[in-house]
Amino acid sequence: MYERSKAAPQDNPIAPVDDVGWSALVKGGSFPMSERDILLQIAQVLTTMLLAPLIQGIIVQFEERIQRAQGPGLFQPYRDLWKLFHKQIVVPQTASWLFFAAPVVAFTCMLVVPILIPVLTNFPLPLSDMGDILGGGLILTLGSFMIVLAGLDTSSAYGGIGSSRAVMVAILAEPTLILVFVGITLLAKAMLPFVVNHLLVSSWAVYWSPAHLFLVAAFFILLLVETDRMPIHSSTHIEVYMIDEGRILEYSGPLLALIKWASAMKQFILYTIFCNVLILPWGLSVEGTAIGAAGAAVALIIKFALVACVVVFVETAQSRLRFFRYQEPLAASFLLAILSIVGTQLS
Amino acid sequence: MLVQHLSPIASSLFSLLAIACLLLSFVMLGSRWLNNYLYAFAAESWIIAVLSAAVGFYGNYPELYLIAILTLLFRGLLLPYLVWRIIRRLDVDREIHLFLQPSTSLIVGALFVMLALSVSFRIAAELHLQLTVATLALTVMLSMKLIGFLILALRHEAVSQILGLLVLENGIFLGSQILVPGMPLLIEMVILFDLLIIVACFGVLVGYLMTHAGTTSSLDLKRLVG
Repeated sequence: MYERSKAAPQDNPIAPVDDVGWSALVKGGSFPMSERDILLQIAQVLTTMLLAPLIQGIIVQFEERIQRAQGPGLFQPYRDLWKLFHKQIVVPQTASWLFFAAPVVAFTCMLVVPILIPVLTNFPLPLSDMGDILGGGLILTLGSFMIVLAGLDTSSAYGGIGSSRAVMVAILAEPTLILVFVGITLLAKAMLPFVVNHLLVSSWAVYWSPAHLFLVAAFFILLLVETDRMPIHSSTHIEVYMIDEGRILEYSGPLLALIKWASAMKQFILYTIFCNVLILPWGLSVEGTAIGAAGAAVALIIKFALVACVVVFVETAQSRLRFFRYQEPLAASFLLAILSIVGTQLS
Repeated sequence: MLVQHLSPIASSLFSLLAIACLLLSFVMLGSRWLNNYLYAFAAESWIIAVLSAAVGFYGNYPELYLIAILTLLFRGLLLPYLVWRIIRRLDVDREIHLFLQPSTSLIVGALFVMLALSVSFRIAAELHLQLTVATLALTVMLSMKLIGFLILALRHEAVSQILGLLVLENGIFLGSQILVPGMPLLIEMVILFDLLIIVACFGVLVGYLMTHAGTTSSLDLKRLVG
């Protein structure tokens, strides 16, 4: 079940504001490399892998229902993946080894990031000290970089267009992402997602401070941009203004399935960071028991459904912009990140 | 001084309201439809009215309730209504030629906020203001003034220039509410009537421009007429 009640009163002896060393977060001081923690870490990665298509299905289904259509059902992405894995691969003549390597690398990157962030537990697990928020961002970006290379590799016109657009948007989104990370760092005085989570759970004043609210808003826009839901797209995916779809038009069969799965997992990871680190930091497993982890997974689905409602609402209510106004949401997000940094300087 | 002894709840409420005002002036900076300017300005004035009431509540200044009500009526309802009448009379509903695209002007505005932050840190250090609400109020005040100047400089339509002037004034009013809340009631009322006169004059001026120059955009006013 939901573990919120446990999280509140008898809470862990953590004071996130004064200097939080890594060891303070781990129960018992130093790293207990217990088997339970290793299992939990594996469970985090498996949760990301297995639930990612479900989140995609929830968003698509909500979107269809809000447009008064029937919708394909929550489990359609699983059926799509199953179908694609049973098809044969068609490779363009111009493709090099990169064409095969890119989906695998992208998928592997998405398997690495869940190790670093709080998916199920609110305390660090083995190997989650490999990298901080910036490290996670680097690995996420590496995945999309490989897909960009693969889009250019086949030298098809659409792949080139898709890749160049993706890079253009990334150039504009990246400074904002860095600023959001800087804002988080200044807010929590640490670059570890777990510390931010503890700080927000323990203090309402920080949760409702303008700095945090602006960070949430800035990251929400980034979330829309990174999951390819900018208001410049229409609801169908293959169209003139496609960005992410353009890069992978040449792929087919299991390779396409890997890419689609990786992008669903990227969406899942970004939603996890948004929910568990920024906006809904409750409902994570505190003790690390099996039932707590299962409850955390259920809570995660509920939280994602809430965020998906907001995303679908924004996407439906926001009228579609001209393509060349794609920089405006990013400028707004940059501005919000700057305001949040100003807020952290003053709090 | 009120800002020297505030409860944490009060100071976070003040900072939230101040930053909301700043955000609304960015909405004005980033949109190109005159109606959106107007709605953002009205919302900003309502927030400032709430802020005056909150300052009155936490600082025991009963006259600030009166000022809050006056702000609501004048800045929140009457001035937007007058400007709305001017907009309705005109046949322009948005800025057509822009010096800077909205996204660029947002970035410039963000840089202004950083400038204002550093300036107000210096001022706060000079005045020995320990509390951060004071610094925040200074920052918001200075950056709203800079944004008002930016709107005045970047927009051509007469209506946007009125609203730029009003944003500038709102910024000063907001800063004064937090920093020197005991300002005499009479001065506040004089300021409100001044604003009313400014908007009325602009209304007359816009009508004059329409009949004599046929345009309200300052881009078309290039020729000196004796």
